[in-house]
Amino acid sequence: MILDIQKLSKRYGRGELVLKDLDLHIEGSGITAIIGSSGAGKSTLLRCVNRLVEPTSGSITLDGVELTALKGAELRNLRRQVGMIFQNFNLIDRLSVMENVLSGRLGYVSFFQAASRRYPQDDIDRAFALLERVGLQDFVNKRADTLSGGQRQRVGVVRALMQEPKLLLADEPTASLDPKTSVQILDLLSDIASELGLPVLLNIHNVSQARQFAQRIVGLRFGTIIFDGTPADLDEEALDRIYEGTAGTGDEDDWTPVPAAAAAAAPAVAEDRSA
Amino acid sequence: MSVASPAARRTWRRPPAIANPYLRYGLYGLIAAYLVWAVTSLQVSWERVVQGIPRAVTIFGRALPPDFSRRSLLVDGFVESIQIAIIATFLGVLLSVVLGILAARNVVPRAVYLVGRAIIAVARSFHPVIVAIIFVKAVGFGPIAGILTLIVYSIGFVGKLMAEAIEEIDPGQVEAVRATGGGFLKVLAYAVFPQVLPRQVGLSIYQLDSNLRASAIVGIVGAGGIGGTLTNAFKRFDYDFAFAILIVMIAIILVSEALSGRIRKGLT
Repeated sequence: MILDIQKLSKRYGRGELVLKDLDLHIEGSGITAIIGSSGAGKSTLLRCVNRLVEPTSGSITLDGVELTALKGAELRNLRRQVGMIFQNFNLIDRLSVMENVLSGRLGYVSFFQAASRRYPQDDIDRAFALLERVGLQDFVNKRADTLSGGQRQRVGVVRALMQEPKLLLADEPTASLDPKTSVQILDLLSDIASELGLPVLLNIHNVSQARQFAQRIVGLRFGTIIFDGTPADLDEEALDRIYEGTAGTGDEDDWTPVPAAAAAAAPAVAEDRSA
Repeated sequence: MSVASPAARRTWRRPPAIANPYLRYGLYGLIAAYLVWAVTSLQVSWERVVQGIPRAVTIFGRALPPDFSRRSLLVDGFVESIQIAIIATFLGVLLSVVLGILAARNVVPRAVYLVGRAIIAVARSFHPVIVAIIFVKAVGFGPIAGILTLIVYSIGFVGKLMAEAIEEIDPGQVEAVRATGGGFLKVLAYAVFPQVLPRQVGLSIYQLDSNLRASAIVGIVGAGGIGGTLTNAFKRFDYDFAFAILIVMIAIILVSEALSGRIRKGLT
Protein backbone atom coordinates (compact mmCIF):
# COMPACT_ATOMS: atom_id res chain seq x y z
CA MET A 1 0.00 0.00 0.00
CA ILE A 2 1.27 3.43 -0.91
CA LEU A 3 -0.60 6.52 0.18
CA ASP A 4 0.78 9.71 -1.28
CA ILE A 5 -0.56 13.11 -0.32
CA GLN A 6 0.75 16.16 -2.12
CA LYS A 7 0.06 19.86 -1.54
CA LEU A 8 -3.23 19.04 0.14
CA SER A 9 -5.20 22.11 1.24
CA LYS A 10 -8.60 22.37 2.83
CA ARG A 11 -10.71 25.31 3.86
CA TYR A 12 -14.27 25.09 5.19
CA GLY A 13 -16.50 27.70 3.53
CA ARG A 14 -14.63 30.99 3.56
CA GLY A 15 -12.71 30.28 6.75
CA GLU A 16 -9.00 29.88 7.36
CA LEU A 17 -7.06 27.11 5.70
CA VAL A 18 -7.28 24.06 7.95
CA LEU A 19 -4.68 22.17 5.91
CA LYS A 20 -1.95 24.06 4.07
CA ASP A 21 0.00 22.46 1.21
CA LEU A 22 0.43 19.30 3.24
CA ASP A 23 2.69 16.54 1.93
CA LEU A 24 2.66 13.06 3.45
CA HIS A 25 3.93 9.76 2.11
CA ILE A 26 2.99 6.47 3.75
CA GLU A 27 4.27 3.13 2.59
CA GLY A 28 4.00 -0.40 3.89
CA SER A 29 2.42 -1.40 7.19
CA GLY A 30 2.62 -0.15 10.76
CA ILE A 31 1.09 2.60 12.83
CA THR A 32 1.69 6.21 11.96
CA ALA A 33 0.53 8.47 14.78
CA ILE A 34 -0.60 11.98 13.97
CA ILE A 35 -0.32 14.31 16.93
CA GLY A 36 -1.14 17.97 17.33
CA SER A 37 -3.43 20.18 19.35
CA SER A 38 -7.18 20.44 18.75
CA GLY A 39 -7.86 22.32 15.54
CA ALA A 40 -4.49 21.44 14.00
CA GLY A 41 -6.29 19.60 11.19
CA LYS A 42 -5.84 15.95 12.22
CA SER A 43 -9.47 14.90 11.71
CA THR A 44 -9.73 16.86 8.48
CA LEU A 45 -6.60 15.17 7.14
CA LEU A 46 -7.99 11.71 7.87
CA ARG A 47 -11.39 12.51 6.36
CA CYS A 48 -9.81 13.85 3.18
CA VAL A 49 -8.28 10.40 2.60
CA ASN A 50 -11.69 8.69 2.40
CA ARG A 51 -13.35 11.83 1.07
CA LEU A 52 -15.81 12.27 3.93
CA VAL A 53 -14.38 15.77 3.62
CA GLU A 54 -13.77 17.26 0.17
CA PRO A 55 -10.20 18.55 -0.24
CA THR A 56 -10.00 22.12 -1.55
CA SER A 57 -6.89 21.45 -3.60
CA GLY A 58 -3.98 19.05 -3.88
CA SER A 59 -3.58 15.41 -4.73
CA ILE A 60 -4.09 12.16 -2.85
CA THR A 61 -3.21 8.86 -4.48
CA LEU A 62 -3.83 5.39 -3.05
CA ASP A 63 -1.70 2.77 -4.84
CA GLY A 64 -1.36 5.15 -7.76
CA VAL A 65 -5.07 5.94 -8.10
CA GLU A 66 -5.84 9.64 -7.84
CA LEU A 67 -8.80 9.82 -5.51
CA THR A 68 -9.61 13.52 -5.24
CA ALA A 69 -11.66 13.40 -8.45
CA LEU A 70 -13.55 10.13 -7.87
CA LYS A 71 -17.35 10.20 -8.06
CA GLY A 72 -20.32 7.92 -7.45
CA ALA A 73 -19.54 4.21 -7.63
CA GLU A 74 -15.79 4.80 -7.95
CA LEU A 75 -15.80 6.90 -4.79
CA ARG A 76 -17.74 4.23 -2.88
CA ASN A 77 -15.25 1.70 -4.20
CA LEU A 78 -12.41 3.73 -2.74
CA ARG A 79 -14.16 4.09 0.60
CA ARG A 80 -14.65 0.37 1.04
CA GLN A 81 -10.89 -0.09 0.69
CA VAL A 82 -10.29 2.31 3.57
CA GLY A 83 -11.59 1.32 7.01
CA MET A 84 -12.34 3.98 9.58
CA ILE A 85 -12.61 3.96 13.36
CA PHE A 86 -14.17 6.91 15.18
CA GLN A 87 -13.76 8.70 18.48
CA ASN A 88 -17.44 8.24 19.36
CA PHE A 89 -17.51 4.72 17.90
CA ASN A 90 -20.37 5.74 15.58
CA LEU A 91 -22.02 2.36 15.84
CA ILE A 92 -25.65 2.11 14.79
CA ASP A 93 -26.98 2.08 18.36
CA ARG A 94 -30.31 0.40 17.68
CA LEU A 95 -28.90 -2.43 15.59
CA SER A 96 -27.28 -5.58 16.90
CA VAL A 97 -23.54 -6.14 17.13
CA MET A 98 -23.74 -8.51 14.15
CA GLU A 99 -25.63 -6.00 12.01
CA ASN A 100 -23.04 -3.37 12.87
CA VAL A 101 -20.23 -5.72 11.96
CA LEU A 102 -21.88 -6.78 8.70
CA SER A 103 -22.44 -3.13 7.81
CA GLY A 104 -18.72 -3.11 7.09
CA ARG A 105 -19.67 -5.04 3.94
CA LEU A 106 -22.15 -2.42 2.72
CA GLY A 107 -19.75 -1.35 -0.01
CA TYR A 108 -19.76 -4.91 -1.41
CA VAL A 109 -23.34 -6.19 -1.17
CA SER A 110 -26.47 -5.11 -3.06
CA PHE A 111 -29.08 -2.88 -1.46
CA PHE A 112 -31.49 -5.82 -1.30
CA GLN A 113 -28.94 -7.99 0.52
CA ALA A 114 -28.21 -5.15 2.92
CA ALA A 115 -31.82 -4.22 3.65
CA SER A 116 -32.96 -7.84 4.11
CA ARG A 117 -29.78 -8.74 6.08
CA ARG A 118 -29.05 -11.62 3.67
CA TYR A 119 -25.28 -11.32 3.65
CA PRO A 120 -23.12 -13.87 1.82
CA GLN A 121 -21.98 -16.82 3.95
CA ASP A 122 -18.33 -15.75 3.60
CA ASP A 123 -19.13 -12.41 5.19
CA ILE A 124 -20.91 -14.10 8.08
CA ASP A 125 -17.99 -16.48 8.62
CA ARG A 126 -15.58 -13.57 8.59
CA ALA A 127 -17.76 -11.66 11.04
CA PHE A 128 -17.83 -14.56 13.51
CA ALA A 129 -14.08 -15.08 13.17
CA LEU A 130 -13.30 -11.41 13.83
CA LEU A 131 -15.77 -11.17 16.72
CA GLU A 132 -14.04 -14.18 18.30
CA ARG A 133 -10.68 -12.55 17.69
CA VAL A 134 -11.75 -9.53 19.79
CA GLY A 135 -13.62 -11.62 22.38
CA LEU A 136 -17.15 -10.52 21.52
CA GLN A 137 -18.55 -13.84 20.26
CA ASP A 138 -21.16 -13.86 23.03
CA PHE A 139 -22.53 -10.44 22.05
CA VAL A 140 -23.58 -11.22 18.48
CA ASN A 141 -27.27 -10.43 18.97
CA LYS A 142 -26.89 -7.78 21.67
CA ARG A 143 -27.90 -4.27 20.72
CA ALA A 144 -24.86 -2.07 20.17
CA ASP A 145 -25.95 0.52 22.73
CA THR A 146 -25.96 -2.05 25.53
CA LEU A 147 -22.18 -2.56 25.26
CA SER A 148 -19.49 -0.79 27.27
CA GLY A 149 -17.20 1.78 25.63
CA GLY A 150 -14.32 -0.64 25.14
CA GLN A 151 -16.62 -3.31 23.70
CA ARG A 152 -18.19 -0.80 21.34
CA GLN A 153 -14.85 0.32 20.03
CA ARG A 154 -13.90 -3.30 19.44
CA VAL A 155 -17.07 -3.63 17.35
CA GLY A 156 -15.93 -0.46 15.55
CA VAL A 157 -12.57 -2.08 14.80
CA VAL A 158 -14.23 -5.28 13.56
CA ARG A 159 -16.59 -3.30 11.33
CA ALA A 160 -13.64 -1.53 9.74
CA LEU A 161 -11.78 -4.83 9.26
CA MET A 162 -14.85 -6.38 7.59
CA GLN A 163 -14.16 -4.03 4.70
CA GLU A 164 -10.90 -5.92 4.02
CA PRO A 165 -9.24 -2.51 3.94
CA LYS A 166 -5.88 -1.60 2.47
CA LEU A 167 -5.58 1.18 5.00
CA LEU A 168 -7.10 1.90 8.40
CA LEU A 169 -7.93 5.41 9.57
CA ALA A 170 -8.38 5.79 13.32
CA ASP A 171 -9.64 9.19 14.47
CA GLU A 172 -8.94 9.53 18.21
CA PRO A 173 -10.18 5.96 18.78
CA THR A 174 -9.40 6.08 22.50
CA ALA A 175 -10.41 9.64 23.39
CA SER A 176 -13.78 8.49 24.77
CA LEU A 177 -12.30 5.61 26.77
CA ASP A 178 -10.69 5.26 30.17
CA PRO A 179 -6.88 4.84 30.29
CA LYS A 180 -6.91 1.07 30.79
CA THR A 181 -9.40 0.44 27.97
CA SER A 182 -7.47 2.86 25.76
CA VAL A 183 -4.38 0.72 26.06
CA GLN A 184 -6.39 -2.43 25.29
CA ILE A 185 -7.77 -0.88 22.11
CA LEU A 186 -4.34 0.38 21.04
CA ASP A 187 -2.86 -3.07 21.75
CA LEU A 188 -5.56 -4.57 19.55
CA LEU A 189 -4.94 -2.11 16.74
CA SER A 190 -1.24 -2.68 16.97
CA ASP A 191 -1.59 -6.49 16.91
CA ILE A 192 -4.00 -6.38 14.01
CA ALA A 193 -1.80 -3.98 12.05
CA SER A 194 1.10 -6.38 12.27
CA GLU A 195 -0.98 -9.57 11.78
CA LEU A 196 -2.59 -8.26 8.62
CA GLY A 197 0.31 -6.12 7.47
CA LEU A 198 -2.09 -3.21 7.55
CA PRO A 199 -1.04 0.44 7.66
CA VAL A 200 -2.86 2.52 10.27
CA LEU A 201 -3.14 6.32 10.37
CA LEU A 202 -3.83 7.10 14.00
CA ASN A 203 -4.92 10.49 15.28
CA ILE A 204 -4.11 10.62 18.96
CA HIS A 205 -3.93 13.17 21.75
CA ASN A 206 -1.95 11.10 24.19
CA VAL A 207 1.73 11.61 23.31
CA SER A 208 3.12 8.86 25.51
CA GLN A 209 0.71 6.34 23.94
CA ALA A 210 1.72 7.61 20.50
CA ARG A 211 5.36 6.98 21.45
CA GLN A 212 4.54 3.52 22.76
CA PHE A 213 2.43 2.22 19.87
CA ALA A 214 3.53 4.04 16.71
CA GLN A 215 6.52 3.32 14.54
CA ARG A 216 6.34 6.80 13.07
CA ILE A 217 5.04 10.07 14.49
CA VAL A 218 3.84 13.04 12.46
CA GLY A 219 3.35 16.37 14.23
CA LEU A 220 0.72 18.68 12.81
CA ARG A 221 0.40 22.36 13.63
CA PHE A 222 -1.86 24.89 11.93
CA GLY A 223 -2.43 22.49 9.03
CA THR A 224 1.20 21.79 8.20
CA ILE A 225 3.53 18.98 9.17
CA ILE A 226 6.27 20.33 11.41
CA PHE A 227 7.60 17.04 12.70
CA ASP A 228 8.04 13.67 11.03
CA GLY A 229 10.16 10.97 12.60
CA THR A 230 10.46 7.98 14.89
CA PRO A 231 9.27 8.06 18.50
CA ALA A 232 12.92 8.38 19.54
CA ASP A 233 13.27 11.58 17.49
CA LEU A 234 10.37 13.21 19.30
CA ASP A 235 12.20 15.19 21.98
CA GLU A 236 11.01 17.99 24.26
CA GLU A 237 12.02 20.61 21.73
CA ALA A 238 9.88 18.97 19.01
CA LEU A 239 6.92 18.65 21.37
CA ASP A 240 7.18 22.33 22.23
CA ARG A 241 7.12 23.23 18.56
CA ILE A 242 4.01 21.08 18.00
CA TYR A 243 1.99 22.17 20.99
CA GLU A 244 3.22 25.56 22.18
CA GLY A 245 0.99 28.59 21.74
CA THR A 246 -1.43 26.82 19.44
CA ALA A 247 -4.88 28.29 19.04
CA GLY A 248 -6.77 25.09 19.74
CA THR A 249 -5.51 24.49 23.27
CA GLY A 250 -7.51 27.52 24.38
CA ASP A 251 -7.85 29.02 27.84
CA GLU A 252 -8.62 25.85 29.75
CA ASP A 253 -5.13 24.49 29.16
CA ASP A 254 -3.49 27.72 30.30
CA TRP A 255 -5.52 27.73 33.48
CA THR A 256 -3.53 27.22 36.67
CA PRO A 257 -5.28 26.44 39.96
CA VAL A 258 -5.57 29.35 42.38
CA PRO A 259 -3.79 28.41 45.62
CA ALA A 260 -6.17 27.94 48.57
CA ALA A 261 -4.71 30.94 50.36
CA ALA A 262 -5.23 33.17 47.35
CA ALA A 263 -8.78 31.85 46.91
CA ALA A 264 -9.60 32.75 50.51
CA ALA A 265 -8.34 36.24 49.78
CA ALA A 266 -10.45 36.46 46.62
CA PRO A 267 -11.69 40.03 47.12
CA ALA A 268 -8.12 41.22 47.57
CA VAL A 269 -7.16 39.65 44.27
CA ALA A 270 -10.09 41.37 42.61
CA GLU A 271 -8.98 44.69 44.05
CA ASP A 272 -5.45 44.13 42.86
CA ARG A 273 -6.68 43.55 39.36
CA SER A 274 -8.85 46.66 39.31
CA ALA A 275 -6.08 48.80 40.76
CA MET B 1 -13.78 25.41 55.34
CA SER B 2 -15.32 28.54 53.95
CA VAL B 3 -13.76 29.71 50.74
CA ALA B 4 -14.89 33.33 50.88
CA SER B 5 -15.35 35.51 53.94
CA PRO B 6 -18.91 36.88 54.53
CA ALA B 7 -17.69 40.38 53.78
CA ALA B 8 -16.81 39.32 50.24
CA ARG B 9 -20.26 37.87 49.52
CA ARG B 10 -21.30 38.64 45.96
CA THR B 11 -24.91 38.58 44.80
CA TRP B 12 -26.08 36.69 41.77
CA ARG B 13 -29.33 36.65 39.87
CA ARG B 14 -30.22 34.80 36.71
CA PRO B 15 -29.87 37.26 33.80
CA PRO B 16 -33.29 38.06 32.25
CA ALA B 17 -34.13 36.51 28.86
CA ILE B 18 -34.37 39.95 27.27
CA ALA B 19 -31.50 42.09 28.49
CA ASN B 20 -32.83 45.50 27.47
CA PRO B 21 -35.34 46.59 30.20
CA TYR B 22 -37.23 48.98 27.86
CA LEU B 23 -37.76 46.20 25.35
CA ARG B 24 -38.67 43.69 28.10
CA TYR B 25 -41.32 45.81 29.83
CA GLY B 26 -42.48 47.22 26.49
CA LEU B 27 -43.23 43.68 25.31
CA TYR B 28 -45.09 42.83 28.52
CA GLY B 29 -47.17 46.02 28.05
CA LEU B 30 -47.95 45.16 24.43
CA ILE B 31 -49.12 41.66 25.32
CA ALA B 32 -51.37 43.00 28.09
CA ALA B 33 -52.82 45.70 25.80
CA TYR B 34 -53.55 43.16 23.08
CA LEU B 35 -55.38 40.84 25.49
CA VAL B 36 -57.57 43.71 26.75
CA TRP B 37 -58.33 44.79 23.19
CA ALA B 38 -59.07 41.23 22.03
CA VAL B 39 -61.53 40.55 24.85
CA THR B 40 -63.35 43.90 24.55
CA SER B 41 -63.57 43.91 20.76
CA LEU B 42 -65.14 40.44 20.53
CA GLN B 43 -68.47 41.78 21.81
CA VAL B 44 -69.48 38.82 23.91
CA SER B 45 -73.24 39.23 24.35
CA TRP B 46 -74.24 38.00 27.80
CA GLU B 47 -77.87 38.37 26.82
CA ARG B 48 -77.53 35.67 24.21
CA VAL B 49 -75.63 33.43 26.58
CA VAL B 50 -78.49 33.71 29.06
CA GLN B 51 -81.10 33.04 26.35
CA GLY B 52 -79.17 29.96 25.27
CA ILE B 53 -79.33 28.25 28.65
CA PRO B 54 -82.96 27.05 28.50
CA ARG B 55 -82.40 25.86 24.93
CA ALA B 56 -79.43 23.83 26.06
CA VAL B 57 -81.55 22.35 28.83
CA THR B 58 -84.19 21.27 26.30
CA ILE B 59 -81.61 19.63 24.03
CA PHE B 60 -79.98 17.74 26.87
CA GLY B 61 -83.42 16.81 28.22
CA ARG B 62 -84.37 15.26 24.90
CA ALA B 63 -80.98 13.56 24.59
CA LEU B 64 -81.68 11.51 27.70
CA PRO B 65 -81.87 8.62 27.75
CA PRO B 66 -79.58 7.94 24.73
CA ASP B 67 -81.22 5.81 22.07
CA PHE B 68 -79.18 2.82 20.94
CA SER B 69 -82.12 1.14 19.13
CA ARG B 70 -80.98 1.96 15.58
CA ARG B 71 -78.03 -0.35 16.00
CA SER B 72 -77.34 -1.13 12.34
CA LEU B 73 -77.08 2.56 11.43
CA LEU B 74 -74.76 3.11 14.36
CA VAL B 75 -72.54 0.09 13.61
CA ASP B 76 -72.35 0.76 9.86
CA GLY B 77 -71.33 4.38 10.45
CA PHE B 78 -68.58 3.52 12.89
CA VAL B 79 -67.27 0.60 10.82
CA GLU B 80 -66.95 2.94 7.85
CA SER B 81 -65.23 5.64 9.94
CA ILE B 82 -62.72 3.15 11.32
CA GLN B 83 -62.03 1.79 7.84
CA ILE B 84 -61.44 5.30 6.55
CA ALA B 85 -59.08 6.02 9.45
CA ILE B 86 -57.06 2.82 9.06
CA ILE B 87 -56.66 2.99 5.29
CA ALA B 88 -55.80 6.70 5.41
CA THR B 89 -53.28 6.16 8.19
CA PHE B 90 -51.56 3.33 6.33
CA LEU B 91 -51.27 5.22 3.04
CA GLY B 92 -50.62 8.56 4.72
CA VAL B 93 -47.77 7.24 6.87
CA LEU B 94 -46.22 5.52 3.87
CA LEU B 95 -46.23 8.79 1.92
CA SER B 96 -45.05 10.67 5.00
CA VAL B 97 -41.91 8.55 5.25
CA VAL B 98 -41.00 9.41 1.66
CA LEU B 99 -41.85 13.09 2.10
CA GLY B 100 -40.12 13.18 5.48
CA ILE B 101 -36.88 12.09 3.81
CA LEU B 102 -37.34 14.58 0.97
CA ALA B 103 -37.92 17.35 3.51
CA ALA B 104 -34.92 16.60 5.75
CA ARG B 105 -32.16 19.13 5.21
CA ASN B 106 -29.36 16.79 6.22
CA VAL B 107 -30.04 13.91 3.79
CA VAL B 108 -31.15 15.49 0.49
CA PRO B 109 -29.88 18.34 -1.72
CA ARG B 110 -31.26 21.79 -0.97
CA ALA B 111 -33.57 21.95 -4.01
CA VAL B 112 -35.26 18.66 -3.08
CA TYR B 113 -35.52 19.80 0.54
CA LEU B 114 -37.37 22.96 -0.46
CA VAL B 115 -39.86 21.06 -2.61
CA GLY B 116 -40.43 18.51 0.16
CA ARG B 117 -40.98 21.23 2.76
CA ALA B 118 -43.37 23.06 0.42
CA ILE B 119 -45.54 19.96 -0.11
CA ILE B 120 -45.76 19.36 3.63
CA ALA B 121 -46.51 23.03 4.30
CA VAL B 122 -49.41 22.97 1.83
CA ALA B 123 -50.75 19.75 3.37
CA ARG B 124 -50.60 21.42 6.78
CA SER B 125 -52.17 24.72 5.87
CA PHE B 126 -55.83 23.60 5.74
CA HIS B 127 -57.94 22.06 8.44
CA PRO B 128 -59.23 18.59 7.47
CA VAL B 129 -62.79 19.93 7.18
CA ILE B 130 -61.73 22.36 4.44
CA VAL B 131 -59.75 19.64 2.65
CA ALA B 132 -62.81 17.36 2.98
CA ILE B 133 -65.09 19.97 1.38
CA ILE B 134 -62.71 20.18 -1.59
CA PHE B 135 -62.46 16.40 -1.97
CA VAL B 136 -66.23 15.94 -1.64
CA LYS B 137 -66.63 18.41 -4.51
CA ALA B 138 -63.94 16.59 -6.50
CA VAL B 139 -64.81 12.90 -6.01
CA GLY B 140 -68.35 13.11 -4.64
CA PHE B 141 -69.91 12.10 -1.31
CA GLY B 142 -68.59 9.00 0.41
CA PRO B 143 -65.60 7.36 2.04
CA ILE B 144 -63.13 8.00 -0.83
CA ALA B 145 -63.27 11.72 -0.08
CA GLY B 146 -62.72 10.93 3.61
CA ILE B 147 -59.70 8.73 2.91
CA LEU B 148 -58.08 11.32 0.64
CA THR B 149 -58.69 14.03 3.24
CA LEU B 150 -57.08 12.10 6.04
CA ILE B 151 -54.11 11.14 3.85
CA VAL B 152 -53.43 14.83 3.34
CA TYR B 153 -53.91 15.41 7.07
CA SER B 154 -51.48 12.60 7.94
CA ILE B 155 -48.83 13.89 5.54
CA GLY B 156 -49.01 17.33 7.07
CA PHE B 157 -48.44 16.07 10.56
CA VAL B 158 -46.38 12.86 10.31
CA GLY B 159 -44.36 14.16 7.34
CA LYS B 160 -43.31 17.28 9.19
CA LEU B 161 -42.37 15.49 12.40
CA MET B 162 -40.55 12.75 10.46
CA ALA B 163 -38.49 15.37 8.64
CA GLU B 164 -37.61 16.96 11.95
CA ALA B 165 -36.74 13.61 13.53
CA ILE B 166 -34.43 12.85 10.59
CA GLU B 167 -32.75 16.24 10.94
CA GLU B 168 -31.97 15.47 14.57
CA ILE B 169 -30.22 12.12 14.04
CA ASP B 170 -26.62 11.54 15.11
CA PRO B 171 -24.52 12.46 12.05
CA GLY B 172 -21.70 10.21 13.27
CA GLN B 173 -23.66 7.07 12.35
CA VAL B 174 -24.31 8.48 8.88
CA GLU B 175 -20.60 9.22 8.53
CA ALA B 176 -19.73 5.67 9.58
CA VAL B 177 -22.02 4.07 6.98
CA ARG B 178 -20.71 6.39 4.26
CA ALA B 179 -17.17 5.45 5.28
CA THR B 180 -17.91 1.77 4.55
CA GLY B 181 -18.78 2.68 0.97
CA GLY B 182 -22.56 2.67 1.34
CA GLY B 183 -24.61 4.80 -1.07
CA PHE B 184 -27.73 6.92 -0.42
CA LEU B 185 -30.19 4.04 0.04
CA LYS B 186 -27.86 2.06 2.29
CA VAL B 187 -27.25 5.14 4.41
CA LEU B 188 -31.03 5.48 4.75
CA ALA B 189 -31.49 1.81 5.62
CA TYR B 190 -28.60 1.54 8.09
CA ALA B 191 -27.97 4.98 9.55
CA VAL B 192 -31.23 6.94 9.23
CA PHE B 193 -34.13 4.50 9.68
CA PRO B 194 -32.79 2.67 12.74
CA GLN B 195 -32.47 6.04 14.47
CA VAL B 196 -35.97 7.31 13.64
CA LEU B 197 -37.86 4.00 13.77
CA PRO B 198 -39.25 4.29 17.32
CA ARG B 199 -40.34 7.83 16.58
CA GLN B 200 -41.94 6.64 13.35
CA VAL B 201 -43.95 3.90 15.04
CA GLY B 202 -45.06 6.25 17.81
CA LEU B 203 -46.14 8.88 15.31
CA SER B 204 -48.08 6.35 13.24
CA ILE B 205 -50.03 5.16 16.26
CA TYR B 206 -50.72 8.73 17.30
CA GLN B 207 -51.88 9.54 13.80
CA LEU B 208 -54.25 6.55 13.72
CA ASP B 209 -55.71 7.85 16.96
CA SER B 210 -56.01 11.32 15.51
CA ASN B 211 -57.48 10.05 12.22
CA LEU B 212 -60.18 8.14 14.14
CA ARG B 213 -61.37 11.42 15.63
CA ALA B 214 -60.99 13.38 12.41
CA SER B 215 -62.85 10.72 10.38
CA ALA B 216 -65.97 11.49 12.42
CA ILE B 217 -65.62 15.21 11.78
CA VAL B 218 -65.00 15.05 8.03
CA GLY B 219 -68.13 12.87 7.77
CA ILE B 220 -70.15 15.96 8.70
CA VAL B 221 -69.35 17.58 5.35
CA GLY B 222 -70.16 14.39 3.45
CA ALA B 223 -66.89 12.50 3.41
CA GLY B 224 -68.41 9.24 4.69
CA GLY B 225 -68.54 7.55 8.06
CA ILE B 226 -70.32 8.23 11.35
CA GLY B 227 -70.09 12.02 10.96
CA GLY B 228 -72.81 11.96 8.31
CA THR B 229 -75.09 9.89 10.55
CA LEU B 230 -74.47 12.36 13.37
CA THR B 231 -75.42 15.46 11.35
CA ASN B 232 -78.54 13.72 10.07
CA ALA B 233 -79.57 12.90 13.63
CA PHE B 234 -79.13 16.56 14.61
CA LYS B 235 -81.03 17.80 11.57
CA ARG B 236 -83.99 15.58 12.45
CA PHE B 237 -83.85 16.61 16.14
CA ASP B 238 -83.07 12.98 17.11
CA TYR B 239 -81.00 14.20 20.04
CA ASP B 240 -81.24 10.87 21.85
CA PHE B 241 -79.71 9.05 18.85
CA ALA B 242 -77.07 11.79 18.46
CA PHE B 243 -76.17 11.35 22.12
CA ALA B 244 -75.81 7.61 21.62
CA ILE B 245 -73.39 8.28 18.74
CA LEU B 246 -71.34 10.64 20.89
CA ILE B 247 -71.11 8.06 23.70
CA VAL B 248 -69.85 5.37 21.34
CA MET B 249 -67.38 7.88 19.89
CA ILE B 250 -65.98 8.62 23.33
CA ALA B 251 -65.75 4.89 24.06
CA ILE B 252 -63.82 4.24 20.86
CA ILE B 253 -61.42 7.11 21.49
CA LEU B 254 -60.80 5.89 25.04
CA VAL B 255 -60.06 2.37 23.82
CA SER B 256 -57.69 3.60 21.09
CA GLU B 257 -56.03 5.95 23.58
CA ALA B 258 -55.39 3.09 26.01
CA LEU B 259 -54.14 0.77 23.25
CA SER B 260 -51.80 3.31 21.69
CA GLY B 261 -50.43 4.26 25.08
CA ARG B 262 -49.67 0.64 25.81
CA ILE B 263 -48.03 0.02 22.42
CA ARG B 264 -45.89 3.14 22.65
CA LYS B 265 -44.71 2.14 26.10
CA GLY B 266 -43.43 -1.12 24.63
CA LEU B 267 -41.12 0.75 22.26
CA THR B 268 -37.83 2.47 22.92
